[in-house]
Amino acid sequence: MRIEGIGREPEFSRYMDLKEGWLDRRIFSDAEIYEEELYRIFARSWLFVAHESQLPKAGDFLTTHMGEDAVIVARQPDGSIKVFLNSCPHRGNKVCFADAGNTRRFVCNYHGWAFDTAGELKGMHEEYCYDDNDIDRRKNGLKQVARVAGYKGLVFATFAEDGPSLDAWLGDFRWYLDMLLDNEEGGTELIGGCIKSVMNANWKFGVENFIGDAYHAGWTHDSGCRSMNNGQPFPPIDMENSYHASVNGHGWEFGTEGVGDLFLLGRPKVLEYYERIRPKMAQRLGEMRSKIFGSVASASIFPNVSFLPGISTFRQWQPKGPMEFELKTWVIVNKSMPDDIKNEITKGVMQTFGPGGTFEMDDGENWSNCTTVNRGVVTRHERLHYRCGISREIEHDTLPGIVYRGQYNDANQRGFYQRWLDMMEADKLEAMPDRPESRLSGVGETRNLPGLFAL
Amino acid sequence: MTQNATLERPQTGQGASLELTHALTQTVYREARMLDDENYADWVDMLADDLLYHMPGIETRYRRDKTDQITDLTRMAYYNDNLTEIKKRLSRLETGTAWSEDPATRYTHIITNVEVELTEKSGEYRVYSNFYAYRNRNEREEDSLIGNRVDIWREAESAFQLVTRRIILKHNVLLSKNLNIFL
Repeated sequence: MRIEGIGREPEFSRYMDLKEGWLDRRIFSDAEIYEEELYRIFARSWLFVAHESQLPKAGDFLTTHMGEDAVIVARQPDGSIKVFLNSCPHRGNKVCFADAGNTRRFVCNYHGWAFDTAGELKGMHEEYCYDDNDIDRRKNGLKQVARVAGYKGLVFATFAEDGPSLDAWLGDFRWYLDMLLDNEEGGTELIGGCIKSVMNANWKFGVENFIGDAYHAGWTHDSGCRSMNNGQPFPPIDMENSYHASVNGHGWEFGTEGVGDLFLLGRPKVLEYYERIRPKMAQRLGEMRSKIFGSVASASIFPNVSFLPGISTFRQWQPKGPMEFELKTWVIVNKSMPDDIKNEITKGVMQTFGPGGTFEMDDGENWSNCTTVNRGVVTRHERLHYRCGISREIEHDTLPGIVYRGQYNDANQRGFYQRWLDMMEADKLEAMPDRPESRLSGVGETRNLPGLFAL
Repeated sequence: MTQNATLERPQTGQGASLELTHALTQTVYREARMLDDENYADWVDMLADDLLYHMPGIETRYRRDKTDQITDLTRMAYYNDNLTEIKKRLSRLETGTAWSEDPATRYTHIITNVEVELTEKSGEYRVYSNFYAYRNRNEREEDSLIGNRVDIWREAESAFQLVTRRIILKHNVLLSKNLNIFL
């Protein structure tokens, strides 16, 4: 698909110097930069659109957005998933108004054009008014995205015909993702329902917070941590044995103590559950990953999905203008968990990271004020400081990615903005470099890598 | 599991006496005043030990879709709390580090359309009401939360206690950055 609108002279590098460690605030508030983000990033990235578990049966559908483009995600009779614009080719009206459901047809309210769950035009109201030459039904279906692909339950779609495969896009980050998506036989599912809320904040603040900002947690969330855990403060951070890892703009910051995030959830039964399965997890993923899972950690998939492995909130930051995003939150659990553990996790997530959660409430306030203060024309030209830990890059035998020591660090944030810059400036996605060079290229399954990356 | 009266309307919801209706109406007004004043100690005293405080997240679905989004307690919910969990949430305000609560949010709860019914259990009453909760914060942040509630209140020694509350907010997308409020 040709994405019109690209073609302005790229000059986005003037908004940051990641070697020096600063960003220009205009990327968080400028309307023109935001429009370019929609073209260059959201219309060309692999974007999360659904979890397989949300669409178990043929005809199951959900509606979501890719950037600001409204799309329908639908399960086909053959089990595959199609993604197409939620917009009728006749006058552009929406053809589906529900968040989710099951259907045989999407029918436009305006003139009764009817599409099947593959998006193909199947009929129109008073069809006799069209002469033979007027319309080719086959060419007037709902506009399909260019590609759909999945990784261990997560379904992604992209409007870009060319560019990396999803596996290449995720690259070595798959090694980390398996800790969330494949730590137990059977994989994951999302709990029923989705909670959406709006914030007057730039979408990148949510992403960068989860991609690397362990630093804010002990301060911003002191009250949340104490409320969930009988007044106990945040678990101490071990700067020697905690890390930032960045791959192609995705990032995971983490400790290796295995329990920090599980503690923050405030549900002892969940902590006990993971302690029970940890030896199996070590067999499945290796010793190192079994110690990372459950530690104080947070992660984002470029460009706009985030989650907390161990706390089990899973979320997407949907852009709605330079100074607004819509936050969609779900709870992700292992399919094989007993129901009472799924319930404990669901309650725990909503009490910490739902809109009324003891952690979430303090985050929204921060991101909103970080954004709206840029209405000031002087303020918006001031640089922001992103230099924390800039000299702590290390080579690590086990950990893939660009690795920095000490999880109080801006390294993953710099990695995210580097990828942002790569995409904003690249006219062809093929021209974008892997960051870093892939270690796992050609490795299909990253779960069991005996000897290779096992400690 | 529970012997308590249920929220679902029975075949006949017999109206309560004028006296009882007045007493429970005054109770929900008083509760609203406790919340407006952030007088959470007195509010918690109005809650029963076996409290269920539930505000489901409700997706927009077609009429033909029969997914139970209201009473299924395993689905996503803004609140799905027992008394201990409500107290945990409230303990955040005692820490002195709940940054987004200082300066304080200004609240007004408007409670209307109160109906009181007898239930199948003596001493427990079903109370329907509507709420308009208005919040204003810092310079010009404001939002409005509007919806229905259905409660079970139990007659205790000297006052009524809230046993069960279901809150149906009319938002699909919560038009606010957080929910630092009880409804």
